[in-house]
Amino acid sequence: MSHLNKRRAVQISALVTSVAFVLAACTSNTDEAPAASGAASQGTTTATIKFWDPYTPYQAGSDWDNQLKSCAPEGSTIERFSAPQTDLLNQLTSAVKEGNAPDIIALDNPLMPEAASSGLLATAAQAGIDVSGFDANLQAPGVVDGEAYGVPMGSNALGLYYNEDVLTAAGVDVSTIGDWASLNAAIEKVVASGSKGITFSGIAGEEGVFQFEPWFWGAGASLADISSADAVSAGQLLSDWVANGWAPKSAMANNQSASWDLFLTGEYGFAEDGSWRAGSAAANEGFQVGMIPIPAKDSGVAPVPTGGEFLAAPLQSTDASDHYANASAVISCLMSGDNAGVTSESVGYLSARPDVRAVQVASNPIWTPWVPIIEGAQGRTTDLGVDYVGVSAQLSEAMQGALNADGNADQVKAAFENASGL
Amino acid sequence: MTLLSQDPTASSAKPRGLDAERAASRRKRNRAATLASIGFIAPLVLYLVIFYAFPLVQNVVMSLQRYDRSSFVYGGAPFVGLDIYREVIASSKFWPTVAQTATFTLVSITVQYCVGLALAVFFKSNFRLSSTLRALFLVPWLLPLIVSGTTWQWMMSADNGVLNSFLGFFGVDPVWWLSADNALWAVLIANIWLGIPFNLVILYSGLQNIPESLYEAAALDGAGPWRKFLNITLPSLRPVTVITLLLGLVYTLKVVDVIWIMTMGTGNSQTLATWSYGMAFGKGTSAVVRYSEASAVGSILLVVALAFGLLYIATQRKEKD
Repeated sequence: MSHLNKRRAVQISALVTSVAFVLAACTSNTDEAPAASGAASQGTTTATIKFWDPYTPYQAGSDWDNQLKSCAPEGSTIERFSAPQTDLLNQLTSAVKEGNAPDIIALDNPLMPEAASSGLLATAAQAGIDVSGFDANLQAPGVVDGEAYGVPMGSNALGLYYNEDVLTAAGVDVSTIGDWASLNAAIEKVVASGSKGITFSGIAGEEGVFQFEPWFWGAGASLADISSADAVSAGQLLSDWVANGWAPKSAMANNQSASWDLFLTGEYGFAEDGSWRAGSAAANEGFQVGMIPIPAKDSGVAPVPTGGEFLAAPLQSTDASDHYANASAVISCLMSGDNAGVTSESVGYLSARPDVRAVQVASNPIWTPWVPIIEGAQGRTTDLGVDYVGVSAQLSEAMQGALNADGNADQVKAAFENASGL
Repeated sequence: MTLLSQDPTASSAKPRGLDAERAASRRKRNRAATLASIGFIAPLVLYLVIFYAFPLVQNVVMSLQRYDRSSFVYGGAPFVGLDIYREVIASSKFWPTVAQTATFTLVSITVQYCVGLALAVFFKSNFRLSSTLRALFLVPWLLPLIVSGTTWQWMMSADNGVLNSFLGFFGVDPVWWLSADNALWAVLIANIWLGIPFNLVILYSGLQNIPESLYEAAALDGAGPWRKFLNITLPSLRPVTVITLLLGLVYTLKVVDVIWIMTMGTGNSQTLATWSYGMAFGKGTSAVVRYSEASAVGSILLVVALAFGLLYIATQRKEKD
């Protein structure tokens, strides 16, 4: 390159870079923040209402889809968008930043403190959402700094499903399973009779942590200290299952859906899964499915994490009052009176309103064994609030390390002690 | 003589005036030419600024500020200089991840190149059905990555995977392919399989350009096939080799998709690219979104790629000289 051309090239690249810097500096200090103004009472519903939820399996024509569409106000239609749980919060973040957030979002409950304190949600007062009549422990994730941000759509919990045919063939009596020792003995018997043992989801991320928490809390561990001996013992339990061949090695990559598919093959004796499967489990063809509460380490029932999403209104920057009016109309339709029970049934949850729940249980016998489990469920964000997300990442790392350790006790201990989350 | 005795001022005034006119019109032409050239390159510069320079600078700026979800939406992230870089480099995961990235990249491109070259030489001797076979070898390149990645993950399943059954025929114990310790080798195998067609195609066309007369001359001198390969094929392929390796290197450094589909970046399959991706979007084990740290790791990856790009330019310049 000649000297003149080189100088020209340097000039042009300097020009390009400085223009880019100026652009970057301008946009990084944007003040287009969504305003905390506007109220549902001041707005009117619009023709199109956008609704985001994580129920990707429920397509058009499913119970949930019909239930939602039936709650469209006069003259409006509801546009539904579904994304996996892990993506929904990030998409909401971008949408609020751009100013085109949906009218309503169904957000997983452990993400509510993070979303609210990051300024992504409008308060329930602003959005005209009635927050009375819900169980305190189920409403708790939606209350940040004393302000309520949404209402729980329903709640679900984890239980231990079992294949009745496999267990009978192995000579296992489920009523004897009351702690980890008896559970392990039962699994051993099942494996000895030729079937496979237990399937669960150990995937990296919140889904795997959700499935791990009953064992974690059942051992007496607390989220405030995930390197305690109790926590390590929970990790050791799962690690031993994989090492003995009682649980599939793919557990560390399976989500709950994949884990349930394995159970449906009929080869597994036990499956850890949730109350949203209760309907399909009861109607299962091929083999009978039963359910027992997840046992704690020494005795009793393990506390399970509260599952279920919150209905909330994202913060809007333009026409805020109209968007909040949309949210108010749809949410009050979904969650009021008898319709609340129908809403919960359509996604396979038990209602978070004790009165509605009583009616649900009375009319549908498959819920009877689930009531004590759901009522004894523990909130994930109760103690940690916004910090839960970080601790969950550490716990996920520890659990993945334990599952990979193949039973090696030192490795399991190291995994729990060194989980940094970064 | 007459020229020398002429009045110098008179004789130079006219040329100077003419020169001034010529200079003015030349300047006008130059300015018009300059404006025209700016007009031609303006669209390209605009495109580069919007789609390359701006995101790049934004990325670096983001890594110099401490972002969280709230400041991502509302702005106002505090400037912390190189603190984020210091934290990332001091993290216990950094050096293992760098080592894993290096292993993944270097082993990938080496094996892909060698196997691609071997296949290209094999196909050079055009036998019947060679073009069909060559087309079939392109299948890994043509399959959607989600299909290839999912199929490899399925084949490598530790419980009932086809790969372990195949190894079982030779009496080898089943390998837990996707565990934390073996994940790197699992994704390496899949990535090598994916990259061979690219190398095959480019090296094959490079081989076509070597004149047959060179080989004939060598045969006359009594050179065997191995001598011919070392002394004629390899040196003639030098420019093609350099470009293939550079393209392969820069591409492999950025690979996220095949690793993510197979292992989600768990265990020792974590590379700088997957780590940055996981932190930027809160996926995988990094369930927390870390905007600044992701930008920092991304910038580090950029510097590595840039270093190799500059190395390529340096080797090209040396060749020209």
